[in-house]
Amino acid sequence: MDKRIIEVGYGSVAKVKIGSRLPLVFIGGPCAIESRDHAFKMAEAIDLICRRMGVPWIYKSCYDKDCRSSQDSFHGLGADHGLRILADIREEFGVPVVSDFSEPIWGPATGEVCDMVQVPAYLCRQTSILRAAALTNRPVHLKKGQFMSPWNMKNSVRKIEANGNHQILLADRGTFFGYNMLVNDMTCFPIMARMGYPVCFDATHSIQLPTSMGNVSGGQREFIPHLVRAAAGCGINALFMEVHDDPDNALSDANTVLDIQYLENILGQAKAIHEMRLELLEKYGEDNAHLQK
Amino acid sequence: MPTYKNNTMRVSEVMMLLERIPVIRETVIMKEAFEEMGRLNLGIACIVDVNMKLLGILTDGDIRRKLLKVQKPFAALLVDDALEYSIRSPITIHLSDTLVHGVDIMGLKQVWDLPVVDNHGVLVGLLHLHPAVQALLGVTK
Repeated sequence: MDKRIIEVGYGSVAKVKIGSRLPLVFIGGPCAIESRDHAFKMAEAIDLICRRMGVPWIYKSCYDKDCRSSQDSFHGLGADHGLRILADIREEFGVPVVSDFSEPIWGPATGEVCDMVQVPAYLCRQTSILRAAALTNRPVHLKKGQFMSPWNMKNSVRKIEANGNHQILLADRGTFFGYNMLVNDMTCFPIMARMGYPVCFDATHSIQLPTSMGNVSGGQREFIPHLVRAAAGCGINALFMEVHDDPDNALSDANTVLDIQYLENILGQAKAIHEMRLELLEKYGEDNAHLQK
Repeated sequence: MPTYKNNTMRVSEVMMLLERIPVIRETVIMKEAFEEMGRLNLGIACIVDVNMKLLGILTDGDIRRKLLKVQKPFAALLVDDALEYSIRSPITIHLSDTLVHGVDIMGLKQVWDLPVVDNHGVLVGLLHLHPAVQALLGVTK
């Protein structure tokens, strides 16, 4: 399948290419920027692991968490402070960074600093957010809403394209299965890939149990490796996981973030399966069974 | 070949002009193609690129056959590119061909419509069976 390659990274940071038959890319970091020290500590730890494993990566952390279950939950450090930290992380580690934004007015500032901008899953069909993301001229990490079918993501893709941006990464983070429950339909990857863009699996949000804990979301982290292996076999180009050195005390998504002690294990498996899939494609050709009807 | 009253008439004299036929770009989805075909009340849509070069055609018959073959949800099919379900090398006719030749092809291929193209493969109109036959018979509206 002819998938467009997107390139994430401007200026002096590493240029990370995602798509086609390129190596699997890791996108990760703590869900929210908790403090400058913690953000740097996590960036350093992830960078060490990814360098050791030879995995190209993008640092992800958000400066504003606008979709928390409770208004009392940690909301983030805010755009000014948060983006300054992200800019410094870029500088220090030479790694591209990505953050989401929930208000169209935050688009320009987010795009000015970040190498890629992310559209939150709940807002994936909001025209104003998609337009703002497109107009940053940065690659757009577009997450499929938990309520969306994979094929209907094409409408969101078209909104971004209509605003002149053709650098899109489409991600799955699970689909609502009744109340407080998500499932992953692995067919969403080939379906979304047919839109011509690389696809990403958001593993840590996929095992979320949305707002299952009254005013907080729960999660079943034990399933992360299982889902990652399945997604890697289904043709993802990037793997997204939020990681933390102390999940129990994480200020955001404490029940879903992956303990960084497991990152190498899971990333190693994903990388191996990805490489094996590429070898199989070389040997047997692209998946085309019953595509032409 | 039988002799008709209007044996020398050209396709260009009878063809439907572009504003009366469904003409869609290659990025148009199935749902939008259906709407355009419905709006202009024709069972065919011509798919063109930015230069009006004909890329394919989508007909009622193609859609009917695809609906039976493609086992995906209807909502998914509606958002697919119309081009994906189109005939990519459709039979066409040149605007300077005779009308008799056009109707002959329609009979031979069992089709109701022939996209009309110029020397560069650019879509310029559509030869539709009803007006073609009416013109051959010398019937005027």
